[in-house]
Amino acid sequence: MTLQLSVRSIVKRYGGVVALRDGNLDIQSGEVISLIGANGSGKSTLSKIITGVVAPNGGQLLLNGHPVHFSNPQAARGRGITAVYQELSLVPDMTVAENIWLAHEPLHLNFRVNRKAMRKNTEDLIALFGGTISERLQPDTLVTALPPDERQIVEILKALSIDPQLLILDEATASLDSSQVNRLFSLIKQWQAAGKAIIFITHRMDEIFRIADKATVLRNGQSVGTVDIASTSEREIVNMMIESAATPDDIKIPVVSEDAPVRLAVQNLGGGRVEDVSFTLRDGELLGLGGLHGQGQEDLLLALFGAIPYTGSVKVSGKEVHYRHPRDAMNDDIAFVPGDRGREGLLLVRSIIENFQLPSWHKYGALHNRDAAQRDARAMADDLQLVYAGMETPVNSLSGGNAQKVVLGKWLLRQPKLLLLDDPTKGVDVGTKGEFYALLKRLTEAGTAILFYSSDDDELLGLCNRVLVLQDGRVRDTLTGERLTHSELVAASMGATNNHEVA
Amino acid sequence: MNAQTLRRYLTPPLIALLLAIALFFAGGLINPDFINVTQAINIVRLAAFLGIISAGQTLVIISGGEGIDLSVGAVVTLAAILTFRITGGDNNLIGVGLLASLSAGFIVGLLNGIGIALLHIPPLVMTLGMTGVVSGTILVVTQGEMLGATPALMSTYIAKPLIFGIPGVILIWVALGVVMWLLMERTTYGKHLFAIGVNRTAARLSGVRVERAVIITYTLAGLLAALGGFMLLGFAQTVLLNLGDPYRFPSIAAVVVGGTMLTGGKGSYWGTMSGALVLTLIDSLLRAMGLAEAYQLIVFGGLLVLLIAVYGRELNLRQ
Repeated sequence: MTLQLSVRSIVKRYGGVVALRDGNLDIQSGEVISLIGANGSGKSTLSKIITGVVAPNGGQLLLNGHPVHFSNPQAARGRGITAVYQELSLVPDMTVAENIWLAHEPLHLNFRVNRKAMRKNTEDLIALFGGTISERLQPDTLVTALPPDERQIVEILKALSIDPQLLILDEATASLDSSQVNRLFSLIKQWQAAGKAIIFITHRMDEIFRIADKATVLRNGQSVGTVDIASTSEREIVNMMIESAATPDDIKIPVVSEDAPVRLAVQNLGGGRVEDVSFTLRDGELLGLGGLHGQGQEDLLLALFGAIPYTGSVKVSGKEVHYRHPRDAMNDDIAFVPGDRGREGLLLVRSIIENFQLPSWHKYGALHNRDAAQRDARAMADDLQLVYAGMETPVNSLSGGNAQKVVLGKWLLRQPKLLLLDDPTKGVDVGTKGEFYALLKRLTEAGTAILFYSSDDDELLGLCNRVLVLQDGRVRDTLTGERLTHSELVAASMGATNNHEVA
Repeated sequence: MNAQTLRRYLTPPLIALLLAIALFFAGGLINPDFINVTQAINIVRLAAFLGIISAGQTLVIISGGEGIDLSVGAVVTLAAILTFRITGGDNNLIGVGLLASLSAGFIVGLLNGIGIALLHIPPLVMTLGMTGVVSGTILVVTQGEMLGATPALMSTYIAKPLIFGIPGVILIWVALGVVMWLLMERTTYGKHLFAIGVNRTAARLSGVRVERAVIITYTLAGLLAALGGFMLLGFAQTVLLNLGDPYRFPSIAAVVVGGTMLTGGKGSYWGTMSGALVLTLIDSLLRAMGLAEAYQLIVFGGLLVLLIAVYGRELNLRQ
């Protein structure tokens, strides 16, 4: 029995939010298609529509050429279509076998559950992953006793138990280890040869190239195209995923010249988790801060901004300073974008304009000139391509990337000379990241000195010419030039003394 | 108009104002004499005193950090007694009395602010303690004897009809409303006030000097309560040791009924003004119903608890 599914112009709205505006997909038996897109591009919504979990507001599903409408997941399962989702759907206090066969238990002729058949079938399913799982995973084990990877495997077996014709795997590899992923991939190849169709959703680029025949790319709820994996590149796929193709590699910030004025000179700084840190930062330079999470990077930035007490010497533009409050640092044209947007960066229930102008209100007179404040905020919003309904709407109505633009914009309104960034692209979609990189480049070209902590190594290596690697609050290594590589960065993060041995 | 636009325009301050108007006409059902211009002006006049006294409370509650000022009642009493004593009924000394009242309110508020912002004493504890200190000071200074008199001009300019039959206190209240609106919406202090009410960490990391803003807020609250006490003397004409006490709880209730969040960060003074009207109307209605004084107090107190509980519950649902 072959299957041919076409998804045509599917639209799905949740309240006023459009999750899918034009979803399209074609798949037939024996194909593995990878569905990819940035966070919020509509991948999960599309898969839930195919499996009948949510109903579309418009568009059509064609199964073997005939329009179908699945009003619930059971209807889709009846036609051999099912999915393994990111959020697990197992009942913790039931056994592995009970979970797998829930609602389609093998029955005796008298409609009683055939426990023997259920057990046997379960053992056959578990055997598929034999060798990659522990002894614990047995038909009678309670699901609550299993670790996340084995729960994920039970989830996959549950989907297999209906012998699907079309199987959707939504981030199914996220919690599996590499041997389990390898096994899953060889199973996928077998299923493919047996004529099953598979839609594979993942964030891992290498997996797409290992397993898929084609990739269908979604962007902002729209299908932007399908490519043959055999004749495409990672770069091409990334370019399809993001509006304006910008990866860190494209925007290497030029090396700043030796005679650029020193903006910041730090000597033996200590405070919080930071111990004995020294470095200089020149105007127009983007200095990276790397290392594992929580090694003192945040405290270093907080200390330089006057937000926590510190010892040692800090010179800003050659002048010895000792800040006791962020306002002191702001008066020297320093700005700080904190790592926790919601807790440290924004007044969530207040309006966009109030968030933009919070550090700057005093500029607008004793009785504020509201028109001027509005005009400046609007200009900044346009500059940053902020997507917003109005200046008076609360900032908690914005998406992550747009909210981060407000945090950044409120400091850019002050035209800082020294910008301290604490992981500014965390939780930001890939398109907005590209805009940020371009912005960082513009700022450094205008002479802004930037101290940039990122938890994303690719960002540091792609953007910076010099990276300080922190470990236990100390600068473990300074990477420049040819030593700006992944292996050197990882080695220094782990505190290896001689990088060349480790690399 | 669909439900969504209705909800957008039907803000808590507007609901309070509509409630006040509804209560006024409800009064007519109980007693037809309730609805006339003189009665309406009288109710607004009574609401003005509560409104002025609640102005500082509005700022304090918006400032967040469990902000509350329980010392308003004591400050009202202190200001009235000071004016009563210092002027001794002499019209020429009204200015001196006002200055002394405001200075006393300033000092009490400043001490509250320092205790809360710098010594990290919870606002409830600090302002309740301050109530005791102020009441004790009044006793020490007066020895319990209410010597003095109210200058005749105060009554003329505050309580009696001034222009078109409208008493001065109403005009002053409206002017205060404009000043409060400008202070909260158009000054850097106002923006910082809302910021510290929402999130003090984010405010500090945006350059707001949080402690300073808190101290200014409680100082303003002391000043405004003292202004209220001064005005109240013009109406009451005489002083009592507990003159301001009945305003303590209603000053909080007026703010909350006006839609200001008890957790801080959101609110308005025009909401408080509407809230003061609502509470004054409830009080007047209870009187119009001819309940005995004791039962009036019981019902009014119970209603205040109910109102605050309802608004507090709504708050929980939203979070």
